[in-house]
Amino acid sequence: MQEITVRVLENAPLCTGVCKMIFELPAPVEGIACGKFVNISTGDGAHLLRRPIAVCEHTESTVTICYQIKGSGTQALSRVRAGDTLSCVLPLGNGFWLDEGERRVALIGGGVGIFPMLSVLSDYAGKGKHFDTYFGFRTKAAVCMEGRAKALSETLTVVTDDGSYGQKTNAVAAFFADAASAQADVILACGPLPMLRALKEGLAERGMRTPCYVSLEERMGCGIGACLVCVCKKQGAHVRVCKDGPVFAIGEVEL
Amino acid sequence: MSKLSVNVCGVTLKNPVIAASGTFGFGKEFNEIYDISLLGGISTKGLTLEPRLGNPTPRIAEGHGVILNAVGLQNPGVDVFLEEDLPFLRSKDIAVIANVAGRTLDDYAGICARLDGKADLIELNISCPNVKSGGMAFGIRPSSVEEVTRAAKSALSVTPLIVKLSPNVEDIAENARAAVRGGADCISLINTLTGMVIDLERRRPLLANNTGGVSGAGVKPVALRMTYEVCRAVDVPVIGMGGIACAEDALEFIVAGAAAVQVGTANFTDTLAMPKIIRGMDAWLDAHGIADVNELRGTLRLNG
Repeated sequence: MQEITVRVLENAPLCTGVCKMIFELPAPVEGIACGKFVNISTGDGAHLLRRPIAVCEHTESTVTICYQIKGSGTQALSRVRAGDTLSCVLPLGNGFWLDEGERRVALIGGGVGIFPMLSVLSDYAGKGKHFDTYFGFRTKAAVCMEGRAKALSETLTVVTDDGSYGQKTNAVAAFFADAASAQADVILACGPLPMLRALKEGLAERGMRTPCYVSLEERMGCGIGACLVCVCKKQGAHVRVCKDGPVFAIGEVEL
Repeated sequence: MSKLSVNVCGVTLKNPVIAASGTFGFGKEFNEIYDISLLGGISTKGLTLEPRLGNPTPRIAEGHGVILNAVGLQNPGVDVFLEEDLPFLRSKDIAVIANVAGRTLDDYAGICARLDGKADLIELNISCPNVKSGGMAFGIRPSSVEEVTRAAKSALSVTPLIVKLSPNVEDIAENARAAVRGGADCISLINTLTGMVIDLERRRPLLANNTGGVSGAGVKPVALRMTYEVCRAVDVPVIGMGGIACAEDALEFIVAGAAAVQVGTANFTDTLAMPKIIRGMDAWLDAHGIADVNELRGTLRLNG
């Protein structure tokens, strides 16, 4: 990981309440990969904390992040303009990875949890994987990145909570309803806690032993593992979401 | 950069900049970003005799120019620190300040005994609830400040003792004098101010612990005033902290009388905050023709 100043190339709304930012790296940075995140300044002087945001896509010279405007910090971030500079530390966290034997991959994303799933698609596209992707959104206005996900997945199911687009259901239910769910070699998921809990329970109820990894979200301080602010419970102990995670095997963490 | 060298209780720091407890772990993570040997010192994550799990999350929140934290002293316990973390810090050219906490006087004495002669300095966190006095923090009343300092000091034969003062008190100078009566070799201040952030929609405090410690740029004027008052009240060296984010902030504390400073929250805003502060102090001294940072110490002149 390294501390760098990046130049914003693009920062614009992607769908209702979500912005997409592309920034330029001053020099190539080693280790940027799917499921990792950046801790980035909000661009105003008032927020002392950076915002931890998952990598959505990356190239040698750019990183794309997508973030929900939720509070004053992400509001400030949304006001950053092309050409502005931000300070950030990256890449952070353990990230997602796929072993060679894990050929058939189920990706389950809910809300802004779809962006880490897109990073997996981007990194592993054309590498002999078969992706069954399930994206859930609150409503039609929140649906985004469908074209990109469709281009990189073998199958894509998009659903909404209110049924305004696709089936009226959630991403986890859509996954379990699909006959393909039984064929997955590995399941990767990111989304709100209730969604991840439903996934954990659903797997247990069905006696499914498919390896399953989830990316967790938590309010962070330093983002690099020093301050012990962003913990979750793993086998009775508090572990750091930023450094020991954010990706954990679903069975090892309390959700 | 010998012009930045300072001495705290016989311990030479190559510069007056120390990482504040709780923001820097035991140094390993920040050392992945820069060599922490360039710092004057590190005050470790607060240590207790036994491992502690800490508070539930969220443990952090934000206000204008400040943050609040309620980590709750999560730490692996002093024995794990001695075995796994101290050897790493010893491999670095850096003063090691062991920050310690406890629930009883015996806890404080016990942990100080374990660290005596192993850390360069010991810093007492006295903002913890005293179980014997109904949960009121040791650091509130002068009498209990003196008592807990004496208990810690009695367990030490080699390592100098710093007492870190809480700002949530009636008279900070009185508490500083009480710590010195109890045997403190040095005072550090300020610990965090107690605060609360409310999520209006949910009508609940944002922190799982309800309240937390306020730190960051917004507390600097309070910290400077208290540092000045304490420097005037006691003869032992003082380490100032509270909202330091740049070289000028750090130098203001030294002008107010501090021998050294600690930097905490700024490490979250910029992981390179401390290296930048050190370089900036050096440049400021050069620009002002000052050959030794110690010449600045306590040079504040009051108006009228």
